[in-house]
Amino acid sequence: MSLPVRWRKAIRDLRQRPGRSLLTVLALAAGVFEIALVLFAYGLLQPELMNMYARTSPASATLNVEPRGGSNIPYDALLDSLRALPGVALAEARPLIVARVRRGPDEWLPALFHVTRDFDAQQIDLFRRDRGAWPPGPGDVVLERTALQVAGARIGDTLTFRLEDGREVRLRVAGTAHAPGMAPAWMEHMVPGFIAWDSQVRGEGSGETGQLRIVAEHARDEGYIRERADSARALLERGGLSVTRVNVPPPGEHPHAGQMAAFRFLLLAFGILSLILSAVLAAGMVHAFMAEELRQVGVLKAIGATSRQVAGIYLLEVALLAGAGLVVGLAPGLWLGRAYAEFSAGILNTDVSHSPFPWWVLGVVLVVGMGLPLLVSLAPVRRAAAIPVREALAEPSPPLSRLIAIDAWLRRVAWLPRPVALALRTALARRARLALALLLLGAGGAAFMAALNVSEAWNEAVKGDFARRRYDLVLYLSEPASVAALEKLWADVPGVARVEYWPGANPWMLDAAGVATTNVSLSGVEPGSPLVAPRIVAGRWLESTDDRAVVVNQAVALRGATFAPGDTLRVRLRGQAVAFAVVGVARELAPMPAAYATRAAVLGATGRSPDSSRTARIVLERHDEAAQRAAAGALERACERAGLQVAFLQRMLDARQAILDHLVIIYSVLTMASLVVVFVGGLGLASTLTLSVLQRTREIGVMSALGARPRTLASHVWLEGLFVGLLSWIAAVLITVPVSWALEQACGRIFLKAPLDFHLSPRALALWLLLVLVLATFSSFHPALRAARLRVREALDWT
Amino acid sequence: MISVRGLRRTFVTPAGRFDALTGIDLDVAAGEFVAVVGRSGSGKTTLLNLIAGLDQPSSGSVTVAGRGIHELDHDQLAAWRGKHVGIVFQFFQLLPTLSVAENVMLPMDLASQVPARDRAARAAALLERVGVADQAGKLPAMLSGGQQQRVAIARALANDPPLLLADEPTGNLDSATSQEVFALFGSLAHEGKTVVVVTHERDASTGVTRTVTLADGALA
Repeated sequence: MSLPVRWRKAIRDLRQRPGRSLLTVLALAAGVFEIALVLFAYGLLQPELMNMYARTSPASATLNVEPRGGSNIPYDALLDSLRALPGVALAEARPLIVARVRRGPDEWLPALFHVTRDFDAQQIDLFRRDRGAWPPGPGDVVLERTALQVAGARIGDTLTFRLEDGREVRLRVAGTAHAPGMAPAWMEHMVPGFIAWDSQVRGEGSGETGQLRIVAEHARDEGYIRERADSARALLERGGLSVTRVNVPPPGEHPHAGQMAAFRFLLLAFGILSLILSAVLAAGMVHAFMAEELRQVGVLKAIGATSRQVAGIYLLEVALLAGAGLVVGLAPGLWLGRAYAEFSAGILNTDVSHSPFPWWVLGVVLVVGMGLPLLVSLAPVRRAAAIPVREALAEPSPPLSRLIAIDAWLRRVAWLPRPVALALRTALARRARLALALLLLGAGGAAFMAALNVSEAWNEAVKGDFARRRYDLVLYLSEPASVAALEKLWADVPGVARVEYWPGANPWMLDAAGVATTNVSLSGVEPGSPLVAPRIVAGRWLESTDDRAVVVNQAVALRGATFAPGDTLRVRLRGQAVAFAVVGVARELAPMPAAYATRAAVLGATGRSPDSSRTARIVLERHDEAAQRAAAGALERACERAGLQVAFLQRMLDARQAILDHLVIIYSVLTMASLVVVFVGGLGLASTLTLSVLQRTREIGVMSALGARPRTLASHVWLEGLFVGLLSWIAAVLITVPVSWALEQACGRIFLKAPLDFHLSPRALALWLLLVLVLATFSSFHPALRAARLRVREALDWT
Repeated sequence: MISVRGLRRTFVTPAGRFDALTGIDLDVAAGEFVAVVGRSGSGKTTLLNLIAGLDQPSSGSVTVAGRGIHELDHDQLAAWRGKHVGIVFQFFQLLPTLSVAENVMLPMDLASQVPARDRAARAAALLERVGVADQAGKLPAMLSGGQQQRVAIARALANDPPLLLADEPTGNLDSATSQEVFALFGSLAHEGKTVVVVTHERDASTGVTRTVTLADGALA
């Protein structure tokens, strides 16, 4: 049975005008591609990010222990006792050794060894073999797989590690392990490794921290975990150990949960923006398509077609175009989506190679790819199908009243050159088409600028935070040294302008009931010090007359009860509860709780001597990377000569980079979103302008017949494109303000627990203006060429 | 066949109100071949559009074969047109992506009055009748103006309607072809179709049974 003629018309229409059909298919394919890319990446990553941490059997609590009287820690007996405690499901010993690894001459990076009893029978914080030998021997280390690059090593290389007592140990890199529960090494700027129980690193002077880890039976219940951790602490203390720290991390949360949540949020937010963009794009294409078909609708109705039959023909055409768009856009979207998911997974130290295919994404893309064009077609198709025959058959032109109004406006701007005025008239006369083009480019531009705004808001937040720490190097020694000895050091370090010695401690914060909750970094600083310029959000900064007064950062204020000026911060120092009056709250980027008191107050509370220090904050005469590197190298050598053991030497530009590296995943999603938006927006504008020229073929023919030169006609099209681009830029700026604000607020709250400052990037505004004008120029190139090449007879015969 | 009473049509434009028809009374009997003539802007096309149901009157009534078509909505009118009226336009208005034969089959497909298996044969017969059977497989753009108008007439006859309406069907044709088209209408009227043709005065004598003249929206 042959196909009814009206269906044949639908198919023939598409084949007969391949240029128009191709443009429409490409525009619809761009929408499908965009949604497939974003949702597929989301679909692959989301379950992995949700489950990967749980699969590592993360510790509910970690307890750092020290033997009393210098004896060894009886791990086996302790683990048996811990496992026998009610509510403790698993227990494992995982001592830690802080060291430094040589990266180059005078360049040392922090390293952290996880001492593992049995590599093949891990129970908690699991890591698995990646490459190389397994398990490591006494002279080996297995590096976390992301640490190889940071250490500048390959499997089989030998690395030099310096321990707390200054002893240097050479270990062979036996292989790599994958520890999904750890942050990537390049992000933390440190080298994590795993060593055997009988490793040569262990022993006297290694600075080993005894650590026991437990998993509670109700691993998601923080209150329950704290009770079990308290019981474990009591048990260990009864066993003759000193428990120096009990850490209960937020249950089930990866150390970078905030970062991952911000990433997922942005991916989804831009997925929704893509959906809106695709809907507008599809609406624009269908609208232009129907406008061109109006005369044929009139003919069909004149020869007896009902509105339903007319609508059926055009909905079939839209369905065929949408189907073709799906075929063209789906595969590249899925392919790039997987590539992006793999890239993002790598950044987050996981992989999606075993992630199940997210069938729901395929379903959504199919429904959206077919359904969205049909849905947005319903109104224009219905409107066209319902149009009276007389109107449909009339020469299509904008309402006279609108042309009169536009002309009246154009007369008021008489200084405009004639071609510009004509281009404006053309663009403004077809209001619906203009509105759709503006909406498409406006939404695209808003998304593009929002991506850059959020990205710069992050950057500004980091830069602003580091600008308030006005020192270049921080030196941490293994043991306190006399200030007099330290002062002698600086003579050997070129470019040192100023040094301050801030006494510090990491006491426990106590809640109202006197129970320790979390550690806080307490620093003693002179109130008038030029090295710090805190951003005070409540209360005030320290004054020289302050005694037992602190300024806390927002991370402190967020723990448990909110802290405000006038409240009291209680900490446990030297076994005693010490109260500090909170006089101010400072906003810092650091998620770790920190408090600042006067130097005298901290020295008094810790009982330390003002004549010695373990830390020094150093200001250099120059603050660039080269100056910091040179000074750090000189300082390493000077300390070595002076017999001082460096525990850690922090370059502030490196610290800033470490924070910025945490944002790589955020930047990646923002960059990906921007590129896709530019692609879709450009295609949308090109389609809009081409269809605009197609619709005006007859008009162009008339102008040509009246003597308009090809160059003039082409310039009209180009100017129209520029005008639409310019108007869309204004629309994009108006849309991007609330969108950027909302994204910056949400990102900051998810990642840093505080909103980012609103940032509207002048660079983003300028860049999108430039891009939209370039896009308009490129997009109008082909239509302008077509207009210029049209022969008068062809144009006038156009139907 | 056609009964028009007190027919008025007023258009409201930015330039003001314009009365295209000011109250027309007209009767056309079955089998008549009527030419509607008048100067440009006299209201000829408006009258034809109202009889065809392509436009709605401001007031008055149009009754065709006993059916008050001014009472029908757009969809009812379309369905009614498909079965009862064949329309021929000045610019042919053939669908450019369908072949000549398919253009003729399209009204049959829309009205579903002719069984699907008979449509191709009926289209071929109609094209034979108007003298362009050898062009059946071609696209309209490959035909001359006269041939396209013959195809348009064949399309108008697709569902064998009793009424044929033509709006300046020869306005785009040379005089020899115009004569042939009018002769075709004459023969159709002779076979019992009612034919109303809006045309210029020079064609009005070509075999029509009656000429109706319009001036400024009224019968002259």
